[in-house]
Amino acid sequence: MAQQRALPQSKETLLQSYNKRLKDDVKSIMDNFTEIIKTAKIEDETQVSRATQGEQDNYEMHVRAANIVRAGESLMKLVSDLKQFLILNDFPSVNEAIDQRNQQLRALQEECDRKLIALRDEVSIDLYELEEEYYSSSSSLCEANDLPLCEAYWRLDPDTDSTDCLSAPLLASPEPSAGGPLQAAAPTHSHAGGPGPTEHA
Amino acid sequence: MATYSLANERLRALEDIEREIGAILQNAGSGYDDEKGTVILELSKEKTNERLLDRQAAAFTASVQHVEAELSAQIRYLTQVATGQPHEGSSYSSRKDCQMALKRVDYARLKLSEVARTCEQMLEN
Repeated sequence: MAQQRALPQSKETLLQSYNKRLKDDVKSIMDNFTEIIKTAKIEDETQVSRATQGEQDNYEMHVRAANIVRAGESLMKLVSDLKQFLILNDFPSVNEAIDQRNQQLRALQEECDRKLIALRDEVSIDLYELEEEYYSSSSSLCEANDLPLCEAYWRLDPDTDSTDCLSAPLLASPEPSAGGPLQAAAPTHSHAGGPGPTEHA
Repeated sequence: MATYSLANERLRALEDIEREIGAILQNAGSGYDDEKGTVILELSKEKTNERLLDRQAAAFTASVQHVEAELSAQIRYLTQVATGQPHEGSSYSSRKDCQMALKRVDYARLKLSEVARTCEQMLEN
């Protein structure tokens, strides 16, 4: 009828029970051990025959030895319960373990990000050089409107009509066609270079 | 990772106590070390060596008392620090951030391997 509680005892009662178990098990081990040694004494005068006394002593020693083993196993169970209690309730060590774990993970994350940033910087430098080489070579298969980043940056293209851009010689020397500053409207029609190589500057 | 020093110290102490309890039970009975022998094995002989027996019995008693003292100390410490409330700390956020960083590294590695494969194909062609 009564509901079974997962933790029927308070913290103090639980620890007191641990103390009691410890005392009982140690007492059981010592008492049974002492009694075994006492039983090993051979007495000259016995109430029953020596064979019977021997059998009785043998049985008693077996039982006491079993008691010692049972008490030892109970002690092992107690140690296991103490370990569990320690892991769950020893707040100073749990806090320290959490802090150490956080530090390790943060250090690893920073290391990863630092290496990724260094990789990004190296790759962007190589990419710029590769693009420059590729788009300036004769094997480039890009369309007339598809300018490389460096060309898009250097070209001073005043074109306003998109159709004129198709026939414009893109691989010619980067001389300004209109001789003026870059116009903001023109690049939006013909240039597919994106925001420009400001990151490569 | 065995870097949680404070937590591991007490847990290691408890593990040592467990080993000592096992050694106590073994030394009381048949024993595992042929040179030392054990108390009851010594008693079972026809001619017992009294000094050896006394020494072994004293060692057995000392081990049991040592185990009792250590466990009492642990229980006393737990009485002082335990609050009965659940601990609500966690390292989940930093673990998640670290996982995302490792995912980024994996992704970068994947993309670089694709680039390398493309370059190799171009060179072969």
